[in-house]
Amino acid sequence: MGALNYIVQQTMNALSLGSTYALVAIGLVMVFGVLRLVNFAHGDLMMVACYTAFFLVATGLHLGLFSILIIAILVATLVGILMERVAYRPVRGASNIITLLTSLAVSIFIENIFVMFASPVPRSFRSITPLFLNIVNHWGTLVVSNINLVIFGVAILLLIFLLLFVTRTKLGISMRATSEDLMAAQLAGINIDRVIVTAFAIGSAIAGVAGILWAARIGRIDPLMGFTPLLKAFVAAVIGGFGSLAGAVLGAYLLGFAEIFLIGFLPPSLSSYRDAFVFLLLIIVLLVRPNGILGSIEREKV
Amino acid sequence: MKRLNLFFVVSLVLVITLLAGCAKKPAEANVIKIGGTYNLTGAMASLDVPASKGSKLAVKEINAAGGVLGKNIDYILYDGKTDSATNGSIATQLVNSDKVVAIVGNTDSDSALAIGPIAQKAGIPYLTAGATSPKLPDQVGSYMFLEPFGDNVQAAAGAEFMYNELNCKTAWLLWDKGTEYTTLLAKYWKERYEELGGKILLEDTYSQGDTDFSAQIARLRTLNPQPDGLYIAALQASDGGTIAKQLRDAGVIQPIVGGDGWDGPELVGVGGKAAENVYFTTHALANAERGTPKMKAFIEAYKKEYGAEPESAFAALGYDAIYLMADAIKRAGSTDSEAIRKALSETEGFQGITGTITYPPGKRVPQKSVTIIGIKNGQYTLAAEVTPEKIPEP
Amino acid sequence: MSNINQKSLKNFISLLELLGISSILMLALAVLGLKNPYLMRVAILVGINIILVVALNLSNGFTGIFSLGHVGFMAIGAYTSSILTLTVATKSTNLPSLPIWLAHTQFGFLPALLIAGSLAALIALLIGFPLMRLSGNYVAVATLGFLVIIHIVLINWEQFTRGARTFSGVIQYTTLWWVYIWILITIYVVWRIVHSHYGRALLAVRDDPIAAQTMGVSILRSRLLAFVVSAFLSAVGGGLMAHFLTSFSPATFYFTATFNYIIILIIGGLGSISGSVLGATLVTLLTELLRNFEQSIRLYGLSQIILAAALVLIIIFYPKGLIGYREINWLQLLKLGSTKGTNNNSERR
Repeated sequence: MGALNYIVQQTMNALSLGSTYALVAIGLVMVFGVLRLVNFAHGDLMMVACYTAFFLVATGLHLGLFSILIIAILVATLVGILMERVAYRPVRGASNIITLLTSLAVSIFIENIFVMFASPVPRSFRSITPLFLNIVNHWGTLVVSNINLVIFGVAILLLIFLLLFVTRTKLGISMRATSEDLMAAQLAGINIDRVIVTAFAIGSAIAGVAGILWAARIGRIDPLMGFTPLLKAFVAAVIGGFGSLAGAVLGAYLLGFAEIFLIGFLPPSLSSYRDAFVFLLLIIVLLVRPNGILGSIEREKV
Repeated sequence: MKRLNLFFVVSLVLVITLLAGCAKKPAEANVIKIGGTYNLTGAMASLDVPASKGSKLAVKEINAAGGVLGKNIDYILYDGKTDSATNGSIATQLVNSDKVVAIVGNTDSDSALAIGPIAQKAGIPYLTAGATSPKLPDQVGSYMFLEPFGDNVQAAAGAEFMYNELNCKTAWLLWDKGTEYTTLLAKYWKERYEELGGKILLEDTYSQGDTDFSAQIARLRTLNPQPDGLYIAALQASDGGTIAKQLRDAGVIQPIVGGDGWDGPELVGVGGKAAENVYFTTHALANAERGTPKMKAFIEAYKKEYGAEPESAFAALGYDAIYLMADAIKRAGSTDSEAIRKALSETEGFQGITGTITYPPGKRVPQKSVTIIGIKNGQYTLAAEVTPEKIPEP
Repeated sequence: MSNINQKSLKNFISLLELLGISSILMLALAVLGLKNPYLMRVAILVGINIILVVALNLSNGFTGIFSLGHVGFMAIGAYTSSILTLTVATKSTNLPSLPIWLAHTQFGFLPALLIAGSLAALIALLIGFPLMRLSGNYVAVATLGFLVIIHIVLINWEQFTRGARTFSGVIQYTTLWWVYIWILITIYVVWRIVHSHYGRALLAVRDDPIAAQTMGVSILRSRLLAFVVSAFLSAVGGGLMAHFLTSFSPATFYFTATFNYIIILIIGGLGSISGSVLGATLVTLLTELLRNFEQSIRLYGLSQIILAAALVLIIIFYPKGLIGYREINWLQLLKLGSTKGTNNNSERR
């Protein structure tokens, strides 16, 4: 493989990886945008969708693949809404740290429930993954599998769809209003509760989709699988700008590129320091542009 | 707020007294107490839970058959939560509060090192079901025994198999930098492989929890000429399945060789067709059709007890460990810990389902042959039984 | 004039009360532990947790620098002090490639702890300079990044840390006495800083970033002081932990540990030393109790679920923690009926 081919291959790898992070980051930012809440349990919603799909198949009910996916995403959405109602609504308006810790506690709770009842041993997701997703395309010496192409497509489409949603639809605009100023939005007659629940529902549904695609990509699920995607999405959102959907996606791709190219071009003795470099990058971004690359400069309200 | 402060303080007092109360367990005369230490929650749970199930099954069978020395085994199982402090606490509890005569458990070295010194100090023999670091007995002391072979043994077997049987004179080495087991395994393998004359064209690493190996794979593909074989030290079968899948997808078809971490149904479950031409060193072929009669009986019993086949070879290891300990107690003829230790150290030719165990004099890592399993047509088949010619020093 | 004297006397009494509570607690646990090695272990664990959480509170609670990276300082303390106290023999087997000057030395426990603490303080000073300018959320994320970086360095710097492999063979120096003395030191130091000129300034602007900006440089200096001292104490706590466990690995000082301490911190109350003391005691003991409970009914993993649920409930109903922003006042507690001189925060939210 020539040098140019190598770079192109790594670029494609980076785009693939970045797309998986983007899917997760979009959902995370969707919720944060409205509630100012970093939902630590976002990764666990992904896990819930996957396990739902897994158990539906295991019962042998012979539901079509499509129905299984719909149900799985629906379950994730319901769990997300429940989460909001039970754990987050009571602490709405509290400081950021408090809400962060609440979501952390919820995450630990859900994870351990699944560890206890669904066994910590990883399960294969292959039986649920439609065969065509596993097909690998060989373009010359370049390799890219269908699942990666699908994820890339879904990420971009989702971004476009959501951007249209928050700028063109009444509900979307209400969400933006709520995120900017809760009080003012209420005064303007917006039903805050409904807006927040909707945002959560959308965010959780996206988490469900992201979870299933993530699991299809790596081929397995386990109760603690949500932690890594959450961490990556979090980093992506910080780099790109937590308040901005496009920022989250941008951050996700930057992260993907950073990870792949650090492994690809650092000598093997240093490549294991890859995550350290990524987080160093994160700290630098925080120092220089705390709101992220696409984040707006927040005006202090006096 | 005052009321709350009072509540706080009262509950504190309550907790202290309750804790003091439950720290003392009533003594029972007619049982043999064996301690069980496994990480049933936390990062190691996926390996320890099957092992603990194997152990519990063994205890049940032994008690049903009349127990040991006429007494039933009371297997007191604690969850270490994959936390060093908790592992230390449960070891202390077992030794001081529950007053066990022996401890059987664990599949990882971190936990073994948290528990070992406490057992050692109290003179309680401690047999690990699945921790494979050959340094453990020397690090901990005379009461520490390994039930499985050491990583140096399986790494050497892997190296020799790769070099001789598979004819791989050049190789690519990939290992998980985030765990003790994989780091050691890779180190021993490299030593033996290079000693044999093999040439490692490229070494690469990943971190525990990584799910994307595309960068490392792309780097591998730049090698010209390509290596004959790939040695990959991964922690668990699902990792192996994912790595194999991504390798095959990228067009890398060379044979893959790994350690006992690769042993598990998720290898084929996750890897699918990619798992073809994958070999790994392990403790036994846990296969209902092709295994030994004893193994088949174990699988049947496991299925009956838990409703599913054993998740991995670790279930078999947990099972064997209990039987080995029971056998040692029987040979010791008493429940005195020192006698048990002596009997254990003199074990010769013990037939377990994971192989025959003999402890060479003065050594507490058993001489056991290594089973090499290969995946052919999606089936786990016996590729070889290897006793390595030369083993790297721990 | 008399007003100030009255206030400092009151403050001094509260310090004595604090030291008193801790001493009584430790005494109670020690008495239990004398007969039972398991309970002794629990007692030591409670003590180390107290030190770590009080140190964390200095940074997170009193000064508003919500650091998620303090376990990183703990790790620095653990590894540094352990490398220093290993015998030469153990060093040659476990850490064969140490530089000569290190390989042939062996330090005592106290010097090792102090050196480890100082190293952590130095690193805190270096990263503190840029980080102290950040606020709230951003500091949390940046310190999280610090934790990850430390973790990766530990995994890779095999020469000094054995990488991901277990670091074992540490001499078990930690006893309840050592822990108790360091508890007293920690409480005293934190109390002094909080009630000093620096501390008052920080408390006054903890929740008010605008005011903080107007105060400018003195705030930065105060924050840095608190951060550095907190790092020093965390490192000492880490060293005590290391010499208690006698074996550990980088995974011991990562996310799980971080969450545990943050949880204790919240339950006890941000900004209350007595809250941290009582919180650490209660949570540690409760964890052990639940663990024994789950073992007896063989429902493993139950304790984590219960604790997580409890945390959610506490955050919802008592977001300031069980003690809140103030120190527990014992005299008041005893005079239950009295409403006079309530310096307890009666606001729930």
